[in-house]
Amino acid sequence: MELKHKNRSFRKVKVKLASRVTTQYKRRKPAHAQCAKCRKELHGVPRAFPVEMKNMPKTKKRPERPYGGVLCSKCMRETILEKVKA
Amino acid sequence: MLEIGRVCVKLAGRDAGKTAVIVDVLSEPFVLIDGEVRRRKCNIKHLEPLERTIEIKKNASHADVLKALGLKEAKKKVQKKEKGVRPVRKRTVKIKTKKKEAKPKTEKKTVKVEKK
Repeated sequence: MELKHKNRSFRKVKVKLASRVTTQYKRRKPAHAQCAKCRKELHGVPRAFPVEMKNMPKTKKRPERPYGGVLCSKCMRETILEKVKA
Repeated sequence: MLEIGRVCVKLAGRDAGKTAVIVDVLSEPFVLIDGEVRRRKCNIKHLEPLERTIEIKKNASHADVLKALGLKEAKKKVQKKEKGVRPVRKRTVKIKTKKKEAKPKTEKKTVKVEKK
């Protein structure tokens, strides 16, 4: 175990090699995207590394509605209703 | 509340937040809408009715609805040419021709003077 692996951002992975089973260290995945209003987990937003997100098309990174990828559908509806009634 | 000509705001999907007009009332939870949104069948739960109503006929066309709402029709997108193989240019051999000899300027001036 190297020193740089000695923190919580890495996780242990057991890998089977031909001769023996070893442990390797991999980066943990980034956290789930969450709604800006109610902190709920967002659907349709992948839990990928920034490098992977960069190469993904825009339509695969968020739902195709206003506030998609920022607010959950429930909160989006509330904000639109507030705007309409005001 | 939800009759033909009622102006609503759509609350779900990619057209959420845009104004729509009810064009036809279908079987119980569904209505046909048109306007800023795409013309489509829509659940009543996904609509928020407003106070405003406009006078339109049943199954009015998209252009009529936009006119009644006071909106302009969206411009049609011009299709771009497909990328890929370039068309092969035909090569033509250019034949060099001799340049025309420039006429002396002094002649023109003299002609003008004569006309006057």
